[in-house]
Amino acid sequence: MTDLHVAAGQTMGGAQVAVTGNCLPEHVNHVGGKAVGLGSLLRAGQRVPASFVVTAGAYREYRRGQALPQELRAAIAGAYASLCELDGTEVPVAVRSSATVEDSAEASWAGQFQTFLGVSGTEEVLARVEECWAAALDPHVGAYRAGHQLGPDDGGVAVIVQELVDARAAGVIFTQHPETGDRSLVVIESSHGLGEAVVGGDVVPDLFEINKITRQQHRSRLGTKHTEYRLAGGGRGVQARPVDPARQQAWSISEPELTALTDMAAALEAKLGRGLDVEWAIGTAPSTHGTEALFALQVRPITVDPRRRSERPQPPAAGRGPDAIGHILGRLAGREPGTGAG
Amino acid sequence: MDQGRRSFRNPFDIETPPGAEGWETMYPAYLQFSEEMRERDEQKLWFFDQMHNPEPLYPFDLMMPESWLVSLNQYTTRVWNLPTALGIEHRIVNGYLYLSPNVIDDPAAMAEREPVFAERARHYFENWDEIYANWVDKATDCIERLKAIGFEPLPDREPLDTVLHARGTTTAFDLLASYSRYLENMHEMAYYHFEMLNLAYGAYLTFLEFCRSHFPAITDDLVARMVAGIDVILYRPDAELRRLAVRAVELGVGGALTSGAAPDATTAELGTTEAGRQWLAELEEVKDPWFYYTTGSGYCHAKRAWIDDPRPPFAALADYVRRVERGEDLVRSLDKLRAERDRIADGYRSLLDGDEVTGFDDLLALSRQVFPFVENHNFYVEHWHHSIFFNKARELGAVLVAAGLLEQDDDIYFLHRYEVYQALYEAEARWALGVPTRSEYIWREEVARRRQIYAAFEKWNPPPALGVPPDKVTEPITVTLFGINTDTIERWLAAEAEGSPDGRLLGLAASPGVAEGVARVVHQVEELDQLEDGEILVCPLTAPSWSIVFARIAAAVSDGGGIMSHAAIVSREYGLPAVVATGVGTRVLRTGDRLRVDGGTGVVTVLERAAAPAGEAAGA
Repeated sequence: MTDLHVAAGQTMGGAQVAVTGNCLPEHVNHVGGKAVGLGSLLRAGQRVPASFVVTAGAYREYRRGQALPQELRAAIAGAYASLCELDGTEVPVAVRSSATVEDSAEASWAGQFQTFLGVSGTEEVLARVEECWAAALDPHVGAYRAGHQLGPDDGGVAVIVQELVDARAAGVIFTQHPETGDRSLVVIESSHGLGEAVVGGDVVPDLFEINKITRQQHRSRLGTKHTEYRLAGGGRGVQARPVDPARQQAWSISEPELTALTDMAAALEAKLGRGLDVEWAIGTAPSTHGTEALFALQVRPITVDPRRRSERPQPPAAGRGPDAIGHILGRLAGREPGTGAG
Repeated sequence: MDQGRRSFRNPFDIETPPGAEGWETMYPAYLQFSEEMRERDEQKLWFFDQMHNPEPLYPFDLMMPESWLVSLNQYTTRVWNLPTALGIEHRIVNGYLYLSPNVIDDPAAMAEREPVFAERARHYFENWDEIYANWVDKATDCIERLKAIGFEPLPDREPLDTVLHARGTTTAFDLLASYSRYLENMHEMAYYHFEMLNLAYGAYLTFLEFCRSHFPAITDDLVARMVAGIDVILYRPDAELRRLAVRAVELGVGGALTSGAAPDATTAELGTTEAGRQWLAELEEVKDPWFYYTTGSGYCHAKRAWIDDPRPPFAALADYVRRVERGEDLVRSLDKLRAERDRIADGYRSLLDGDEVTGFDDLLALSRQVFPFVENHNFYVEHWHHSIFFNKARELGAVLVAAGLLEQDDDIYFLHRYEVYQALYEAEARWALGVPTRSEYIWREEVARRRQIYAAFEKWNPPPALGVPPDKVTEPITVTLFGINTDTIERWLAAEAEGSPDGRLLGLAASPGVAEGVARVVHQVEELDQLEDGEILVCPLTAPSWSIVFARIAAAVSDGGGIMSHAAIVSREYGLPAVVATGVGTRVLRTGDRLRVDGGTGVVTVLERAAAPAGEAAGA
């Protein structure tokens, strides 16, 4: 995988287009949070869709002139051409904004950013990159930025161009329970087709809670997966399709796939630390030459609902009290479990 | 009384089932609901002790609950001075035992007891291993003394020795004296039973709650697996059967064990060959003590030990021999168990940070230290001692039959232990008189009446609870020993209020996995042979000795069972889904129902109802 990204990067030139695999956390102001996440996934050994990043520096150039400079057009076209070499055709890609402020807690304006799925051909890629930037200049966003005391030169919008995974199933992994914060569980949401159905809340996904230690399923729930998004014919756009009742009633992923996702969660926690939220997809892409594979699409720190967290019983103070016997005596003496009195 | 507070049926509104009229005289009056105590009793929660006494109490067997009424409660109330609890009360309703815990919630009273409790309990925790080693000696000695007590019918004529040794007293005197020693011995063992149990469960509960507060989704099963002993005496009987099955195959005599013949015929056949005799000799070697193992809770005489009824171990042997012949490795590797236990503990520890790790390690170490007592006391007390105890009762029955007071040996179980003392005295009197007495009519008539009442009790379905539940149940003994907590009460209330409108039954998730299959409702171990392969066992409660059927079933559902439930442990060992503590499973589910059992969530779903058996009363 990494080779493909490097190959794409060789044609980039300058700081306008970056190699995804080189995106480190310190580059967040240049490439945005999403691209940093992809870089982390790559370095953690995960299969990530082949991609490149059009940087925030390029965005600022664009904003000055309100048009794509020729040099930038050439760089983007060249990088896209490298992606197309994967398959020898115009590969369908996803074009996504990767904001340099998107994941900060204060300014969660994720909705203001654009995602285009199933974009094919150099001209269309260029047009979509421009649209991502135009959206960021939208008066709404401007008002938002003003409201959050963000000046026009703060941050910027990088754009990721990545091959589109035509997902048979996709969803989200939480490496700990997003509501209870339970660190022993991996929670996996999954539905048919592209992950947009899960992320966008179109469907109630299948849900699996898996114990990390025993690898046994703690709980599962069959979703109501009435809609799926798939790549449209000709690789242009994605299409919402109804899911037939039999498939709605069937699990969207198999046991071995569930195991692979659990393995992915464990591997990522080992490399990137606890508490991750990972988007994933299982499907084909130009880089797999028609073979199905599991892709990691995005990773970010999990957001645990703070209200829920405060409702959680506080762990008892065993270890800080006199000793374990004292702790037990306290419990038998009627202190509520988990009050912390020792 | 709180308006709108949900409650169970008032214990004073429970009707006597037809045919059981006049049952009250079978049991001591102090154990029954009465008008004098109404105001207090009807405001309390009374839960059915399904775990220990799933069937109606025989008056003689009442000795068991009456023993722990004293021993367990003394430890709580007077010895440890537990700051949060007084004794657990007993009431008998239509032959079934109901229990009611008593909590101390007055802060001043709790504070007053706490230092007393802390000093005493700490002494036991700090000297645990030494005290436990002594405990084993005390328990074993108590069992040896029980073995030495014997009851024989009174002879026609006092032996000459009495005269030649100028004893003064006679065999009739010995009979009553032995009976007193016999009762005392039972009472003594009951003390040992509870000597360390409260504290051991307290340590375990604290660790369990620590785990739950950090890992809300952790199951009781996983906590138990981190703590469980490796070489546990309680599982030795089963381990010995596995070993004997391997030996049978090695000696080439497996065929005799899988022939399906009764144990007697199997033994006779084995006796015809040299190899067979060799195997029988090895079997004999393990019988004492490992066949002093009952098919029940040890609290009821009707559940015979393997030593008396070899059908369960022989059925298990047949199954094990078949598995050995299929190439399965039956002998559990202790190293593997140890590795598994450490793998789980290491896994959870790796998810904790800083102080949390210390807390986890300290509590885990202490739980592991106390757990051998929790697991092993069960063998010494309920299996080994109580099996012998109930066998001696049978000898006593024979004495009373020989004296003409009873019709058959097992009539004795219809008499309360102090009534037995009275009957023995009357037997002594008759023997002394040498002429007919009224005793020959009184006892037989009373037993005949009680047999009818008992039969009526068996047709009655005891509700899981009566009276008014407290808002919260956190009292450690109720939670650990009886598996009853706030959630259990909520489930029972819901089941009572709604029945199961959506065909779902909620219990505790005891062993993960999902299975679908046909239900087989089994009340007694004797009915286990009706089970067909792949069925779902629905039962009041399973004991370790039921493990013989776990190789054949798809899942297990039990009415009772809690944190320490054996059904849960055995199911996990066999990798079967299990749901315990449904409260009502055996009454709501029918043999033939198609079920889905989800041992991960504790939900039992009725997929398809079996046709109601002809003549079954509606709403039973």
